[in-house]
Amino acid sequence: MPYLGSEDVVKELKKALCNPHVQADRLRYRNAIQRVIRHMTQGLDMSGVFMEIVKASATVDIVQKKLVYLYMCTYAPLKPDLALLAINTLCKDCSDPNPMVRGLALRSMCSLRMPGVQEYIQQPILNGLRDKASYVRRVAVLGCAKMYNLHGDSEVDGALVHELYSLLRDQDPIVVVNCLRSLEEILKHEGGVVINKPIAHHLLNRMSKLDQWGQAEVLTFLLRYQPRSEEELFDILNLLDSFLKSSSPGVVIGATKLFLILAKKFPHVQTDVLMRVKGPLLAACSSESRELCFVALCHVRQILHSLPGHFSSHYKKFFCSYWEPHYIKLQKVEVLCELVNDENVQQVLEELRGYCTDVSVDFAQAAIFAIGGIARTYTDQCVQILTELLGLRQEHITTVVVQTFRDLVWLCPQCTEAVCQALPGCEENIQDSEGKQALIWLLGVHGDRISNAPYVLEDFVENVKSETFPAVKMELLTALLRLFLSRPAECQDMLGRLLYYCIEEEKDMAVRDRGLFYYRLLLLGIDEVKRILCSPKSDPSLGLLEDQPERPVNSWASDFNTLAPVYGKARWATIFKHQGTEHCGPKLPHTASLATSGHLISEENKERVQELQDSEALMLVPSCQLTAEYFEKTWLSLEVAHQQVLPWQGEVHPDTLQMALQVVNIQTIAMSRVGAQPWKAYLGAQDGAGCLFLTELLLEPENSKLQISVKQSEKRTEILSSFISVLETVIGTIGDMKS
Amino acid sequence: MIHSLFLINSSGDIFLEKHWKSVVSRSVCDYFFEAQERATEAENVPPVIPTPHHYLLSVYRHKIFFVAVIQTEVPPLFVIEFLHRVVDTFQDYFGVCSEPVIKDNVVVVYEVLEEMLDNGFPLATESNILKELIKPPTILRTVVNTITGSTNVGDQLPTGQLSVVPWRRTGVKYTNNEAYFDVIEEIDAIIDKSGSTITAEIQGVIDACVKLTGMPDLTLSFMNPRLLDDVSFHPCVRFKRWESERILSFIPPDGNFRLLSYHVSAQNLVAIPVYVKHNISFRDSSSLGRFEITVGPKQTMGKTIEGVTVLSQMPRGVLNMSLIPSQGTHTFDPVTKMLSWDVGKINPQKLPSLKGTMSLQAGASKPDENPTINLQFKIQQLAISGLKVNRLDMYGEKYKPFKGIKYMTKAGKFQVRT
Repeated sequence: MPYLGSEDVVKELKKALCNPHVQADRLRYRNAIQRVIRHMTQGLDMSGVFMEIVKASATVDIVQKKLVYLYMCTYAPLKPDLALLAINTLCKDCSDPNPMVRGLALRSMCSLRMPGVQEYIQQPILNGLRDKASYVRRVAVLGCAKMYNLHGDSEVDGALVHELYSLLRDQDPIVVVNCLRSLEEILKHEGGVVINKPIAHHLLNRMSKLDQWGQAEVLTFLLRYQPRSEEELFDILNLLDSFLKSSSPGVVIGATKLFLILAKKFPHVQTDVLMRVKGPLLAACSSESRELCFVALCHVRQILHSLPGHFSSHYKKFFCSYWEPHYIKLQKVEVLCELVNDENVQQVLEELRGYCTDVSVDFAQAAIFAIGGIARTYTDQCVQILTELLGLRQEHITTVVVQTFRDLVWLCPQCTEAVCQALPGCEENIQDSEGKQALIWLLGVHGDRISNAPYVLEDFVENVKSETFPAVKMELLTALLRLFLSRPAECQDMLGRLLYYCIEEEKDMAVRDRGLFYYRLLLLGIDEVKRILCSPKSDPSLGLLEDQPERPVNSWASDFNTLAPVYGKARWATIFKHQGTEHCGPKLPHTASLATSGHLISEENKERVQELQDSEALMLVPSCQLTAEYFEKTWLSLEVAHQQVLPWQGEVHPDTLQMALQVVNIQTIAMSRVGAQPWKAYLGAQDGAGCLFLTELLLEPENSKLQISVKQSEKRTEILSSFISVLETVIGTIGDMKS
Repeated sequence: MIHSLFLINSSGDIFLEKHWKSVVSRSVCDYFFEAQERATEAENVPPVIPTPHHYLLSVYRHKIFFVAVIQTEVPPLFVIEFLHRVVDTFQDYFGVCSEPVIKDNVVVVYEVLEEMLDNGFPLATESNILKELIKPPTILRTVVNTITGSTNVGDQLPTGQLSVVPWRRTGVKYTNNEAYFDVIEEIDAIIDKSGSTITAEIQGVIDACVKLTGMPDLTLSFMNPRLLDDVSFHPCVRFKRWESERILSFIPPDGNFRLLSYHVSAQNLVAIPVYVKHNISFRDSSSLGRFEITVGPKQTMGKTIEGVTVLSQMPRGVLNMSLIPSQGTHTFDPVTKMLSWDVGKINPQKLPSLKGTMSLQAGASKPDENPTINLQFKIQQLAISGLKVNRLDMYGEKYKPFKGIKYMTKAGKFQVRT
């Protein structure tokens, strides 16, 4: 806070304050004090005039008193010995007949924040708690917390706590809320204020009398209360009902959270509540205040994690308008990306397409990535839009489109052909490292389908000396070696030159080592290179497992209406750890391990993938191609070898199921459309020995059962049982992900 | 809850700080400045900024950042709403809320902040209660104070805090008893190239100014209450009565307050009162572009559209524009590329238009994006949703009050894509 040049000002003010003429004139005196305060608020060090200001405290003028107290609260920690001089005046004011003066004095005294003040303030606080003016009681109640904070280590005074608990019955609503706040601080080492049944019901009944801040806070405190019976629970929910319609979004969201937490065993109540706050939440999303919009949007995203269809019909609310700040636009794009469904996909994509040419580079790129996200489900339309974007030949657009293509090809192999056709020509518009890497990777892995791939890579090899990013060079080495395997004639010479450069001239050790590694690998013979470099070119299962649909509401309910949805749980956890236990909030997760964002597959799913592979004791042939006619003929000619019923909730997502089955090499022959009743699917698979497995899935939604009938071309029971276990695992996995 | 508050202007100076608990060093704002630098424009500074030991929650209004420093977990909406309340209060007190005004009235600002929060918790935030604690400065009062040496501080405790109805003080007396209601609707809309509506919704509020003696109990009924699908009320409104009878029944607070706010978002209910005809074209070869827009009335139920302004951010490639308006005045800022046209009233017989050419950067390819047009306008005596108040009755008091209701429609975020 020290400030250069403040000395002159202090000297001048000191002179003014000491001048008896000024002191005699009330107005001039007050003016001088006001100037001190003004300088103080701007960060100048005014502690030099402390003595003079303390003298000014003995006055009947209430404004002057206020100013003096304001000053003292700021500088008392710096001049504790001088501040003690003022305590006498303060104590006297605490018994002034005017309640406002009493409240003011008490509040200032509690805010002095200097050692040794505790012994002076204890009695005034106790008197204040029994004052007849509610204004003073409010101050006194919070004063208890301030007093306790001054001496953090001292024992909690049982009598005081008891007194505060009894003040929860005070007739003034703000005193009640202040009691809660105060108790919370005093008892923080014991887990905060205890909300038992009488207190909870008392608070619930007083709720309507509180102001919005009080309501929001009481709603948070009530989260701690566990109703004893179902009946009580629903009584509470009924009482809280009207707060879902409050004019303050804070109260609405607070009430929603309480509903979600209290009704954690009743999923239908949770869904119902989320349904009812849809209106207020959407209103907050288009509120005048940008900041409110932003936070509301973060909460919308959170809800979408569990109920993907929840806001689908309101997708237009999330269209960006030009004047909105970036952070809102980026959130809206994310929301749009999450709520697409069959009905609105066309409009959403058109809208996103418009954003791709936005003036702001960040926003344009976010929109392109969003299209890439939607492409996992609606591949053809999105790839077409992305291809058109390449035609604009804008650097910042091309690089992001190519990156999106790279991710897409890996997750949805069916679009490889389209991507390969779109790629030629875009190398001219890519300058940055990320984009180059993506392009080179695509050329390397799918070079056999892109006619000019070797020539594009040749350009890169020519310019490798001026290439600044080592990551690009590494990618180039790998890609060229891969391409060499599929098109040796065109690449051999280039590869030689590149390896020579990397080994002899390159300065970056990592690139050089990679070059040496490939060189030695080549010495071992081409088969060895193939074995190491020709990994699978795509992995649809990854995409499938990544967009885990529908996390249960309970998994995030405790984060609702906190800062966690705003900047992610992982981030929150690290910040929290920094803080240590000093400011321990009772309900926060302590480890960062809960954060799943950032990993493509969460730990749990990795195990599942493992499981799937282990259970494959029988080897299903990946390229089994059954035609529908052949399937039908065989199906009719065979007897049912096994029949089984599995539990199943809700609708089936054919794409998800089909992809999951593809992972374990089971082919889908035919399927009814979504929503058909009963829903049927026919599956076929073949093992290494040529044994056919034909399967019928029959789903009857009304009794939530999935019936599986399997027919087998040869009677071999041990293989049949392992086939069925594979099928069960797949269906089980999808079922789990839904619920 | 709220540890400290910093007021920062858009050039990054802290011009006011207030601490409710221990003093937090100004250096915590360095994280904010970092974010401010990263964001190209002031609006783009994110509202929540995490730092190693604190969280900075900010709102940006009137070119001032109000930055709250938080140390423990809090509901973010709570803090943001509170900050907005602080800004509203300042505006209420000083008429405008700007850096010079706050600096001039720093003492009152401090007093108000002191009453609004204690130990970081909101205390008195209702404007009419605050105004009794600390009287707002007016020119007259400043003069009187200078002469008589009296003060801005009320020396009586606000009586409202003792009444059974927390939002109304007891013993209110007026010679003229009056109750006025303003129905104000804002249209937020996005209109696409061809003139069809992409989204449209109405955000409406009913603001009241009630100066009635005693404890009046009012009921307000609408001709068409079903119109309001998403309503939120002032705490004084009896919610149960609204749910069963669709009638607003309440004991009003004294003075100005917002009775309710509502949304009408069903698209077929939202009439769009204006249209914009536009022809903006860039050609690949030439360095000139054509620009022509016309504004006209659409569904206005016979009312005139006033206060029309057109704002448009032109693409970066546009160097200058030479335009001729048929009415009003226009400006184009070649640095920010902002075109603004102050149209005024729309005369349906002679539609206002703005025509001319744009000069583009020579040699550059034509801009990819077309500019978006933002429209501001006002329509007096019309609630565009068709909402109508049926009657207002008063019970509990004997006198006859003056009653009045006014309607107004405004453009909110009204945007036309080209």
